[in-house]
Amino acid sequence: MSITLGQYLILSGILFAVGLCGALTRRNAIIVLMGIEIMFNAGILNLVVFWHYQHFATLTPQMFAIFAIAVAAAESAIGLALVIAIYRHYKSVDVDEMRALKG
Amino acid sequence: MNAAFWILSAMSLIGALLAISLRNLVHCVLSLILFFLGIAGHYFLLRADFLGAVQILIYIGAVAVLILFAIMLTRNVTGTEGPRELFGLGWWTGLGTALIVAAVVWVTVDSAPQAATRSPGQAVSSVEQIGKSLLNQWVVPLEVLGVLLTAALIGAVVIALEEVVRRR
Repeated sequence: MSITLGQYLILSGILFAVGLCGALTRRNAIIVLMGIEIMFNAGILNLVVFWHYQHFATLTPQMFAIFAIAVAAAESAIGLALVIAIYRHYKSVDVDEMRALKG
Repeated sequence: MNAAFWILSAMSLIGALLAISLRNLVHCVLSLILFFLGIAGHYFLLRADFLGAVQILIYIGAVAVLILFAIMLTRNVTGTEGPRELFGLGWWTGLGTALIVAAVVWVTVDSAPQAATRSPGQAVSSVEQIGKSLLNQWVVPLEVLGVLLTAALIGAVVIALEEVVRRR
């Protein structure tokens, strides 16, 4: 019995939920970014899985995955630069303490 | 194929779970590297060789090192969260949200028809084909991506250096 498409989709759904849980529950901004990275990877895994099972003869899904990886890399560079700038300002990376804009 | 799938799945799941639950930030990044390695193994298993190599180069080689540098620059390695704060009301709310998302995905996937084997046709995942395709069909998105990455590079430097410039 070989691995089905559904098993891969459930795996990436669980990984997405784990990343979401980390991004929602942790208060350290760096771990929130790590949770976002986990969600990105679960989504990109989905693209590759659909390429493997549905569109094996075309290259488009892989191109989507490559561009998504590049955009995710840019996002994480900007996010970590923001974390460093916020740390310089507040002397903390706790997301609960970043409430200067709270009404 | 089957055993490799389960081993890699366990690897990425355990890596992801440890990455969001450990207290020491450096241990979190090491678990995140385990997760990235599991995903790269999945790419190799799915015959997307180039993407597996890209995953290792970009995520383990660049993103994980970037996160390590951010941790070093922000000093607080062990974090400020006590166990009581870690398992407070917010934790249960986040866990509930994540469980609901997982349940919705599970039910949706279970109720859909599933393909057990890969779709027919010749694989087109060689590096040569990807390179040719990037410079023919996908050349405009590639250039836009280059502009985006340059802007992100400059923006990251500007954001991270702001205070130093002001002090001088």
